Amino acid sequence: MLDILQNVGYGFQVALQPANLMYCFFGVLIGTLVGVLPGLGPAAAIALLLPTTFHVSPVSATIMLAGIFYGAMYGGSTTSILVNIPGEAASVVTCIDGYQMARKGRAGAALGISAFGSFIAGTFSVIALTFVGPFLANIALAFGPPEYFSLMIVGITVLTYLSSGSMLKSLMMAGVGLILSGVGMDTIAGKYRFTFDIPALLDGVGVVPVAMGLFGISEVLLNLETEIKRDLLTTKVKNLFPSVKDWALSIWPIIRGSILGFFLGIIPGGGAVIASFASYAIEKKIAKHPEEFGKGAIQGVAGPEAANNAGAGGSFIPLLTLGIPANPVTAILLGALMIHGLTPGPLLIKDAPDLFWGTIVSMYIGNGMLLVLNLPLIPLWVKVLKVPYFILYPLILLFCLIGAYSLDNNISDVIIMLVFGITGFLMKKYRYDGAPMILALVLGQKLETSLRRALIMSHGDFSVFVTRPISLGFLIIAVLLLIVPIVTGRKKLSTLAEE
Amino acid sequence: MGKSDRVSGSFWFLFCLFIIYQSYKLGLGNVYQPGPGFLFFWTGIVVAIMALVVVAQSFRVKPQEEAAEAPAGKRTVTKVILVLVALFIYAALMEYLGFFIVTLLLFFFLLKVIEKKKWWFAAAVSILVTFFSYLIFETALQSQLPKGILGFLRF
Repeated sequence: MLDILQNVGYGFQVALQPANLMYCFFGVLIGTLVGVLPGLGPAAAIALLLPTTFHVSPVSATIMLAGIFYGAMYGGSTTSILVNIPGEAASVVTCIDGYQMARKGRAGAALGISAFGSFIAGTFSVIALTFVGPFLANIALAFGPPEYFSLMIVGITVLTYLSSGSMLKSLMMAGVGLILSGVGMDTIAGKYRFTFDIPALLDGVGVVPVAMGLFGISEVLLNLETEIKRDLLTTKVKNLFPSVKDWALSIWPIIRGSILGFFLGIIPGGGAVIASFASYAIEKKIAKHPEEFGKGAIQGVAGPEAANNAGAGGSFIPLLTLGIPANPVTAILLGALMIHGLTPGPLLIKDAPDLFWGTIVSMYIGNGMLLVLNLPLIPLWVKVLKVPYFILYPLILLFCLIGAYSLDNNISDVIIMLVFGITGFLMKKYRYDGAPMILALVLGQKLETSLRRALIMSHGDFSVFVTRPISLGFLIIAVLLLIVPIVTGRKKLSTLAEE
Repeated sequence: MGKSDRVSGSFWFLFCLFIIYQSYKLGLGNVYQPGPGFLFFWTGIVVAIMALVVVAQSFRVKPQEEAAEAPAGKRTVTKVILVLVALFIYAALMEYLGFFIVTLLLFFFLLKVIEKKKWWFAAAVSILVTFFSYLIFETALQSQLPKGILGFLRF
């Protein structure tokens, strides 16, 4: 306990350095902006801005990139409520009741409760992260290659289970991501694989350009086809502070959402998006008047908004303690940390305490900044929404081009990004989810190394994965996740909220 | 999702056949000493089977569901293709012409040709965006954008 307080104190020393405070501020500000802008999510934004952090210390860079992630959770709700367009995936459910509240003239209360709910949940998840993180890292020290292999398999399975659309297609995309991770140098045999003598492929397919393509370029291409229609509410947004009655209705959904979101965030493969859907489904199920849901029930805003923020916080745990990202956004963060020369994993707390504790504490500060920043700035975000799309999309494209080029000052990454822009566009047309592909791509090398090491260790005996209890436990979960949807008629969690 | 699943499933199936063949050539090794192609050979086989299932399932889709799939309009398809071509040309010419010229051209093309704005508007926005993005990325954030044939200006 005393340890942790000491560490948190150290974290404050790091996070309160003026430069880090500034990066934290930029992070949450850009995050909110990205959350507000439809067609540009946190994954693409972090990928775009990663090259801009090459000149600063890894700690400042991580603080800023993390800020973009949880800042986007705040910003996304603003557009959901005011325009009925989710700024990013985690606030899709907020549209349902948030927009209805706005139409009834209660936009202020909806925005207010989502900001306060986000703040409470964000703070809760950061506090929980402070305690659970070191504990998990200790357990993870005992993990060998078989455990890591099985854990990564669980992560990929959970994500395919939770992702949108057909589970079969999601699994296929995870497989394709795995194959893509094999491109480039095979570190064990020292041999080039799948490069076909194309110079752009010699260094492998980077997760960052692929993410920019799948989540940035392809979104723009899709939006070019379907003109974005935006009926901006012209009513003045007032009374941002929710009334006592609003609080009474919302406080339990916020608490439940925080806890649910945090635990869904920890599970590799889980995260903010699914947390928001699950929270909505639960609140609707236990509400006294479920018929009000869909017609402007404040619980339908408070719960999911709390859940997505807690989920964002929770998903830092597997990233920082196990080195295993829970979702596409943390997958890109993992890529970012590796570019900065860090290897996230159980040793990170010991090897880079300034990074670990500094980032966590910066999230306390960032959450506070977001609350202060968001409420008064809502009119500004509404103005941002009025920027016409014909100005916005060329800018997004340009930022993608500059971002990809700056990764290595080389057009290889630009080409890879554009190719995956087309791939992502077609994948969305044919209903394949890109998230499992990104996760498998980023985990691929580690997955392969652990598999090959485990097999070398066990002298080719595959039973090593089932004779070690932790590994067996992970694999049982993975198998259950694969079997359950088939047995129960393929009802997926993400479809629950739509009922 | 009848026909489209048949198309996409077949594509991934062929993709996997290619990967399986390539992995086999890389060397599978044995379970005691897995080779460089080991994981991808087996991943390829599993994904290929799943792709076949997607194709097989597509035949069970009822005709009326299939009719619900709205084809994209021709005009929008041309728009997407034009933008993509512009982006590839941007990438190809970026290092030769330099950031300034390609960005100006790209913006002017997108605003004038794709969005059909007035030429003075397109020109003004292109110049402003190019100037400010250069200021932000090159000067403030120290990205090293390619100078290209304007390199002699030493700005």
